[in-house]
Amino acid sequence: MTPFTETLRHLGRLPGVIVAMTAGAKDGLIIEQSGSSAGGDASSQRHTAALAAFLYAKSGRASAAAGLGEPVFMRLEADRGQLCVVGCGEVVLLALIESSANVGRVRLDMLTARSAL
Amino acid sequence: MTAPSVGEKWVDAPFRRFLDDARIKCGVVLLSTGRVIAQYGFAGPDDVMSVCALASAINASSRELGKQLDGKPFGELHHAGGERQLYMGSFRVGGSEYLFVGVFDAESSVGLVEMYFGDFCRSLEESWKASAPEALPQGDFEGDLNRSLDALFGPLE
Repeated sequence: MTPFTETLRHLGRLPGVIVAMTAGAKDGLIIEQSGSSAGGDASSQRHTAALAAFLYAKSGRASAAAGLGEPVFMRLEADRGQLCVVGCGEVVLLALIESSANVGRVRLDMLTARSAL
Repeated sequence: MTAPSVGEKWVDAPFRRFLDDARIKCGVVLLSTGRVIAQYGFAGPDDVMSVCALASAINASSRELGKQLDGKPFGELHHAGGERQLYMGSFRVGGSEYLFVGVFDAESSVGLVEMYFGDFCRSLEESWKASAPEALPQGDFEGDLNRSLDALFGPLE
């Protein structure tokens, strides 16, 4: 049980959320995830976490370079789903969701979780 | 920074792609016996020779440690330094065991390196099968190491 366990459990129960995970912001390694078998095999989840953490770090640099300050919420829209990432200090919270999922609800809950953490 | 030098043709393209994808600052691929297959970012043969000797020793001791702790050898090793980090992984291609030792910084992450290392191993397997190279001679550590360093950096005067 970590401080993120309940948050991940909650996010994982939202309609359209394939998998929710926390990963190290610097190393991109998975800390915890919602459901052990959700969202594809372990290897693809590790890849998703590593790339998402890296992408979030890069977007942070782009945001700072543009004078926008710290990024709050990052959403990547792809053909078959979306990737949402929120930074919480040393940790990034990420959710892989279906195209039809309610992004507004996922965003609100992820930002609420960020504030709580 | 020097360009990668590769002693085996089937390693060339996968090695270059891995260095680029994972943003490796310097790295070396060697047989577990110590023979150097490819290197990138090292100034000369002395540096590579030291890294190869240390990597072989670390691999041997971590394998044994893994066997004692977990009943099987450790597959990977990561050391997070202040500015730079070290990643070491082993893999088998064509019946031989190889080691990779690489250094990266904040431009990459251990998650990324680990991920691209998996891709690198798969690419090597495919490349080896496609090119069907001759079996690498596995002799003494010092002889293998010197021969491969000569091939990568040129013979010593």
